[in-house]
Amino acid sequence: MRTGAFSRYGVPILIHAFLVAMLIFALFPVFFVLQAAFRPGQSLYSLTLSLWPDHPTWDNFVYIWTRVPFPTWLKNSLGIGIGTMIAGLIGSATGAYALARFRFAGKRMTLILLLAIQAFPTVLALVPIYIILRTVGLIGSPFGLMLAYVAGALVFSTWNLKGYFDTIPRELDEAALIDGCTVTQAFIRIVLPLSLPALAVTALLMFLTAWNEWVMAQTLLLSEDAYTVPVGLWGLQDNYRIPWGYFAAGSLLVSIPVMVLFLGLQQYFRSGLTVGGVKG
Amino acid sequence: MYRTSLRLTLTYLSPMVVGVGLISLFPILYNVYISFTNQNLYHFRQYSIVGFVNYGKLFQGLDADFFIVLGRTFLFVAICIPLFLAVGMAAAMALNHPSVRFKPFWRVALIVPWAVPSYITALVWKFFFNEDFGTLNQLYRVVAGPHAGLPWLSDPTWAFASIVIANVWMSYPFFMIVILGALQSIPSELYEAAAVDGAPAWSQFRRITVPLLRPAILPATILSAIVTFNVLNTAYLITKGGPFISAAKPGATDFVMVYAFRVAFQLFNYSYIAAFAVVIFFLLFTVTLGSLRFTGLVREEAR
Repeated sequence: MRTGAFSRYGVPILIHAFLVAMLIFALFPVFFVLQAAFRPGQSLYSLTLSLWPDHPTWDNFVYIWTRVPFPTWLKNSLGIGIGTMIAGLIGSATGAYALARFRFAGKRMTLILLLAIQAFPTVLALVPIYIILRTVGLIGSPFGLMLAYVAGALVFSTWNLKGYFDTIPRELDEAALIDGCTVTQAFIRIVLPLSLPALAVTALLMFLTAWNEWVMAQTLLLSEDAYTVPVGLWGLQDNYRIPWGYFAAGSLLVSIPVMVLFLGLQQYFRSGLTVGGVKG
Repeated sequence: MYRTSLRLTLTYLSPMVVGVGLISLFPILYNVYISFTNQNLYHFRQYSIVGFVNYGKLFQGLDADFFIVLGRTFLFVAICIPLFLAVGMAAAMALNHPSVRFKPFWRVALIVPWAVPSYITALVWKFFFNEDFGTLNQLYRVVAGPHAGLPWLSDPTWAFASIVIANVWMSYPFFMIVILGALQSIPSELYEAAAVDGAPAWSQFRRITVPLLRPAILPATILSAIVTFNVLNTAYLITKGGPFISAAKPGATDFVMVYAFRVAFQLFNYSYIAAFAVVIFFLLFTVTLGSLRFTGLVREEAR
């Protein structure tokens, strides 16, 4: 049977060929950063392809860790990222639960307003945000920047989680309510555990939003001690040339926490928990 | 849908509503006010209300910056989104195939571009596209001879394509994860039943996979379209909006946010850009609302 042989061997081979091609596409830029981080001086500026430096060195890492306040920037970025994630998760999970399950006046309006805000370009709101933070005395502080990130993250996450809560069969929490659970108990014991994949993905998104952001941080942070990694790394370049080795070394160091987070959370990316809940 | 006390509803909603209201809604209203003034570099503190002057400037003629920038951005979104979806869908379906082993490895490896901060992504690709030292032209010279080179960033069309490539690299993992999550929540019984009934793979894809993926893909696509429309870092940091053919006209990669950022923070023309933002906002909002109404998502919520 030709089709049988094809689906047994041909399809897997094609799929693996595709995955390998994707792997090269996905990872080559990362590999590029890796080799640039170990490349001494300006040897990157070459006309011919060189995949690995002839004389690899740790100099770039040493420079970035000891000659600039990189550890402080890293600490600021981590604090802001985790703070944004936790505050955003609490706000969006409760808000999304109300929007998915409660019946109240103005719900449609709330959803539409959230979409409207999502449609407004963030960078253009920078000047008013600056004025608000200055008025309440939070300008230049990482906490003020975190508040700005949380508000932005809330809009996306609320929609995202609401969409997921909608896919959880209502019978599950309604049954709990009939059995005497309060609404909050149903939320904490039934809806949240069933939403772990969505919560993990949402949390990750919020962390990354804060972690990767450059424009707002550049505008709202004023002193080198308060900088996040993107602002700090960006400040390294002089007017003539991007110091590639330092940039690459710094980039590698900032990707480590993200990778750890990814590996820790990726088991929750597997969905299908809802289906299990209905089956019993 | 259950009825709850007003207090409980407010308790659940208020963290989100207060946060969004203070730091997202207020600046938007303030921006509308600025758009009716003449605030710019020369009138920074002593500005006055000037009415619709800024709006008039926006629509001065069909070759006004506004239309050029907007048209170019629409084209960018129209090219990017199908590519994101196609690559993300293909990767998700490959990952979900039963013959693939070491799934956690593949999944993590293919998510990696998403984990890379976009300002670093921009700098890496900027280097790849460099005409003399860039990796892409180094590779091209292996094929085409030592003096060859593609004008990645100096030719308008190539520059546009370069930004598209960098954005596909950066954005496909989001779709891959959204689609993979949805794929894994489709009960395998559906496919087993279809297989028993003799349905070929293609019609299983069309009749089971696509309809069940729709609820997950649609919101993701709309949000991603908005994000792509608002592209800033990857375009601004790679090309600075250029290449520019004339100094008075927007460059080839002057997408909406790049243009706004340039005019607001390099030329300090705040009020003009505020008006620009208001118009762009109404446009984006109408598109969003229209597409949601079309897909029936909002109407369903009104029950």
